[in-house]
Amino acid sequence: MEHPAFEEVTVHHEHQDDATFKKKVRKTTILLSVITIIELAIGLIIYTMHKGESPSELLVLMFKGVVCILTLAKAYYIVSIFMHLGDEIRNMIMTIVVPLLLFVWFIIAFIYEGNSYKNLRNTYDKHFKETTTPVKHHKAEAPAAEPKSGKE
Amino acid sequence: MSEAISVHPGAGHAVHHDGHGHHHQSFVSKYIFSQDHKTIAKQFLITGIIWAIIGGLFSVLFRLQLGYPEQSFPILETFFGNWAKGGQIQPEFYYALITMHGTVLVFFVLTAGLSGTFANFLIPLQVGARDMASPFLNMLSYWFFFLASVIMLASLFISTGPASGGWTIYPPLSALGQASSGSIRGMDFWLISMAMFIVSSLLGGINYITTILNMRTKGMSMTRLPLTIWALFFTAVLGVLSFPVLLSGAILLLFDRNLGTSFFLSDIVVNGEILPNEGGSAILFQHLFWFLGHPEVYIILLPAMGMVSEILSVNSRKPIFGYMAMLGSLFAITILAFLVWAHHMFVTGLNPFLGSIFVLLTLLIAVPSAIKVFNWLTTLWRGNIRFTPATLFAIGFVSLFISGGLTGIFLGNSTIDIHLHDTMFVVAHFHIVMGVASMFGMFAGIYHWFPKMFGRYLNNTLGYIHFWVTMIGAYLIFWPMHYQGLAGIPRRYLDKRGWVSFNDFPELDKMITIVSIIVFAVQLMFVFNFFYSIFKGRKVRNKNPWGANTLEWTTPLRPGHGNWDGEIPEVHRWAYDYGKDGREFIPQTEEIGENESKH
Amino acid sequence: MATTTVHQTKWWSGGKSPFNMEYGKLMMWYFLMSDAFTFGAFLISYGSIRFSQNFWPDPNVVFNAFPGAGHANLPLAFVSVMTFILIISSVTMVLAVHAGHKGDKQGVMKWMVWTIIGGLAFLGCQAWEWHHLITGEHAVLANGQIEMIGQTMGGNPWGNIVHDNAALTAALNNTSHETLVQLVHSHDHSHTATELAAMTDVQLRGMVDLAEMHIREKGPIAFGGYFFGITGFHGFHVFSGVVINIIMLIMTQKDVFKNRGHYLMIEKAGLYWHFVDLVWVFVFLCFYLI
Repeated sequence: MEHPAFEEVTVHHEHQDDATFKKKVRKTTILLSVITIIELAIGLIIYTMHKGESPSELLVLMFKGVVCILTLAKAYYIVSIFMHLGDEIRNMIMTIVVPLLLFVWFIIAFIYEGNSYKNLRNTYDKHFKETTTPVKHHKAEAPAAEPKSGKE
Repeated sequence: MSEAISVHPGAGHAVHHDGHGHHHQSFVSKYIFSQDHKTIAKQFLITGIIWAIIGGLFSVLFRLQLGYPEQSFPILETFFGNWAKGGQIQPEFYYALITMHGTVLVFFVLTAGLSGTFANFLIPLQVGARDMASPFLNMLSYWFFFLASVIMLASLFISTGPASGGWTIYPPLSALGQASSGSIRGMDFWLISMAMFIVSSLLGGINYITTILNMRTKGMSMTRLPLTIWALFFTAVLGVLSFPVLLSGAILLLFDRNLGTSFFLSDIVVNGEILPNEGGSAILFQHLFWFLGHPEVYIILLPAMGMVSEILSVNSRKPIFGYMAMLGSLFAITILAFLVWAHHMFVTGLNPFLGSIFVLLTLLIAVPSAIKVFNWLTTLWRGNIRFTPATLFAIGFVSLFISGGLTGIFLGNSTIDIHLHDTMFVVAHFHIVMGVASMFGMFAGIYHWFPKMFGRYLNNTLGYIHFWVTMIGAYLIFWPMHYQGLAGIPRRYLDKRGWVSFNDFPELDKMITIVSIIVFAVQLMFVFNFFYSIFKGRKVRNKNPWGANTLEWTTPLRPGHGNWDGEIPEVHRWAYDYGKDGREFIPQTEEIGENESKH
Repeated sequence: MATTTVHQTKWWSGGKSPFNMEYGKLMMWYFLMSDAFTFGAFLISYGSIRFSQNFWPDPNVVFNAFPGAGHANLPLAFVSVMTFILIISSVTMVLAVHAGHKGDKQGVMKWMVWTIIGGLAFLGCQAWEWHHLITGEHAVLANGQIEMIGQTMGGNPWGNIVHDNAALTAALNNTSHETLVQLVHSHDHSHTATELAAMTDVQLRGMVDLAEMHIREKGPIAFGGYFFGITGFHGFHVFSGVVINIIMLIMTQKDVFKNRGHYLMIEKAGLYWHFVDLVWVFVFLCFYLI
């Protein structure tokens, strides 16, 4: 039951037999679920850290980095196994993967720019800095919590 | 977004099997909702020409204002009513004119009109395919463009006027109705029209890429493709990867305008009223816009480059010089086009360190551009040149590309750009290098492929007049603008008389206006030539009037849907065997002889 | 896979697909690529705005509700259900495509139905979450008074927690009667809303438990815009995916693919569906996890 040849298709894809295929899908499903559960666990860890008195910025950042890497792993499995990109020939894989590299500079430039915009505003816009910077939890003297009187 | 998969599979292949017999088609399916790539190309071309007339007319109108700010033209009031009260162009009208001039020419003429026409027409013919991979989506691509056109045209007639925040639609100018009357409703039309336009160009682009990759005839390896096809291929890649980013920006801007979000707005006070928007970044929009906007420049330029390469080689009867170098530079330009967008934003408050990286990447573009220029010149060098109108326009393209490209090196340096930004220098630069140059590429393409499109020739005498007036006119219009810009005269000013330092060149401005009216009139002459020749031009009797090697000249004089009557020809050589072994040209379909020398 | 053929074929010589793939599927891939840039641009501009702020709401605080669980604090619980729904529906789609390869019409239909159910369930979850966020009002301190606002496109109640009790007490004096009633009602369930409405402002002020309330400042407006904008755009993709899947189901049922001899359309619909899942993975990351 192969599909009739499209002129441009040279080699017919041979599909795995039921057993191997089902095994592969089951394995991937379990893998995706496990990764998701780990991600959720890390999310909850970050949550409890935030609730604590003084969360270590570095540790939070590290956890977030781990989540990002896990997400990329998930994306890899979805594209490679579910979308069958892993079964295509090398030319095809390259034509999809290479253009995605543009995202690297896209992300770096935009994030860097956002960060620089924050620094600019903190330097030149006192009101912005005072009203939006989170204050440490000091019950007695809480300077930033005075009622806002709108923008100047 | 679901159009891409609602197509009947094998639609492209239905053509392969029954394309030989020409069915009797109704008028509607043959000329209106046609799925034939050649008809769709003509639809794009004619819509593009109509837009070019409208967009050109806009420029004449605001040139009148710039050249004769003190004079009143009562006829304007007759046509435009309150927009030109007392025969004087009103500020709102002026800004609407420059905005629509930019939008129309950049997107509707030089993107859809140029690559829409020639990608549709040339790709299947030159790679040896019966039609596009999916003729249905191709038809849809045109009709989305048509829809975009209708919406944009409609925006010209609403009472508050069309968008008037500049073609780059920077917020907050474009986001707030208080900023200009065009931003009250016209901008919504602009954004919706642009969304349709993006859908159209995505449908087109995906189709072009797939056709070039999958539908090449036997023997047409990638390195045997004519440079036109390579250029159109990279154009499509640029469009498919960068237009979606503008779509995102446009959607977010629509939200800001209509749903009270604050993506691009922050801390704004209008007439003492504090707007609730907070925390957005106007620079973010500029990033999103130019992530498309810069590749867009190359979307406009690359098809012209490809056609010029082809036309110069055919008409100088010499192989293109440095085919692989041409390919490499096209590829390099494509990659760099994605990496340099923020060089349009040096004075926005962009981080200076980031800016310096963008300077570096921008200046790198000079390398592949120079390679291309040298290759064109060496292709012409000691050629047996036939000065057809197409050749002249192609040579004109090279000239303009050099003059405009050199000023690009100035503007690419952030230090110099801070001085020159938003002056007439910028206007001169991008009009020469991208506007007029690509227009020349388009004209060259039209003169060259008109016989294949319509089976008749364009009138040559009118063609020569068209070329010389446009060529000299283009330099007369835009060259003086460099000096104006260096003297600090800003662009987009309605009336410079109020500033002593900006009022240095009133006579120059008058001269530019007069020349632009003459050039515009000559374009109308070209349009007349175009439509007249479709019906009354000299008939083509030779299948291959230019003696060219590429596959489109092996089709019948007036190819039907399916292009070739019999089998699709096989390809045995590259497209540039001119003047080889004493023969003037050797078509791609000819097998390589035993004693043939290598190229 | 006949590996020898693969290696010996001159992929680029013309007359065949260099990717060994028919044009429709290739077009689908490139469409998804461009769509990836649309979503990428959304998420990256979200990142840019987020990096330009000194404060950003903690997603665990915003997304802590679960249908039927009342006011219980269950961070990440509901969204993990949504994520699993989408992953599972992706798996059923894989099975449908596999059944299509074998020409198994019944198999295709069965798994397509499950996929559609998964998609609809996801949309239902999203509708509930949106509704909860928009209508769930929270007390914020703004302009010297306390207001109740929901999470909308133009307002965000998830700013910094206000610790300055003096300022809060002062703000209470400026607060409207209706808001006071809502405030008290939110943590004191011993009175009905009508009983509370009948009380005086002074009585109500006395009943407000400031320590319990966690009154916040207004948060960054862009939070809501991006959340609703991006999940909405993703939801629109899920919706169109469901519509496509339903069309595919009907076409399968009418033997269109059987007569055509192949189920490639199912494969293309599958690619789209997996892409929707893929996007969710990143939306999940950007909005809920980090």
